[in-house]
Amino acid sequence: MDYPLLLIICLILLSSSCDTFSQIFLKKSVNSLDIQVNGIKKAIDFVLRLILVPGTWISFTFSTISLILWLIVLSRVELNFAFPLDSMHYIFIAFASGLFLKEKVCYKRWLGTGLIVLGITLVSLTK
Amino acid sequence: MPKNKLTLKIIFFLASTDVLETFINFCFKKSALAGAGFSVNSVIGLILFIKAVALSIYLWLGFLGVILLFAVWSTILSRIDLSIAVPVASLSYILVPISSIIFLGEKVPPLRWIGILIILSGVILVSLTANKKEDIPL
Repeated sequence: MDYPLLLIICLILLSSSCDTFSQIFLKKSVNSLDIQVNGIKKAIDFVLRLILVPGTWISFTFSTISLILWLIVLSRVELNFAFPLDSMHYIFIAFASGLFLKEKVCYKRWLGTGLIVLGITLVSLTK
Repeated sequence: MPKNKLTLKIIFFLASTDVLETFINFCFKKSALAGAGFSVNSVIGLILFIKAVALSIYLWLGFLGVILLFAVWSTILSRIDLSIAVPVASLSYILVPISSIIFLGEKVPPLRWIGILIILSGVILVSLTANKKEDIPL
């Protein structure tokens, strides 16, 4: 059973989007607690409080959907084809961080993120 | 402690999430192999597969890794921007090839070196934008 290439690409982008949403929700939950973790004891307290935030569970849900989609993709195409496309999620994260988290994504950060995507694509092209 | 400062400690933690992620993938792959003898094309086949996988110690090691990863990653996020944490975590694309050269004696072709250097320059560029107020948002 072969999936058409376009469907695979859509699945990869959907998986990346779900991963992005997962990160956004987790970061929002972390921000809502407004704790700066330093030290093990504080970290445990922080994590226990974090799992009580609803956004954390939304994050888990998106993360699970993303993983399932990714596994479907990997069962159909080779990893070195899927990987460069998946690295698009660096771009998604930069966009979403600015949009939903109001992080200041300046041109330098954009440029750096773009270079990473380019580098990952080059690395995965080599065999 | 100023917020959004990319200290060496945080970079170390970021690198450790990559190691953890690799470990988790390895464990889950191992546990899936434990169920490899079963063909999953019926409900009973699926139940037998899940049973074999659940009995594998690797599955539980994998779950332990997931919990640990969540703790470490959310700790990192309490300190820095998401748009910094995610790109800098891509350091694994550099660390993995370098450790395969040192520990596994693998050869890295020139094009991959170029890719690695480009990733590295990207990570450095993103890191430089941490803890700066005067940056112009795009």
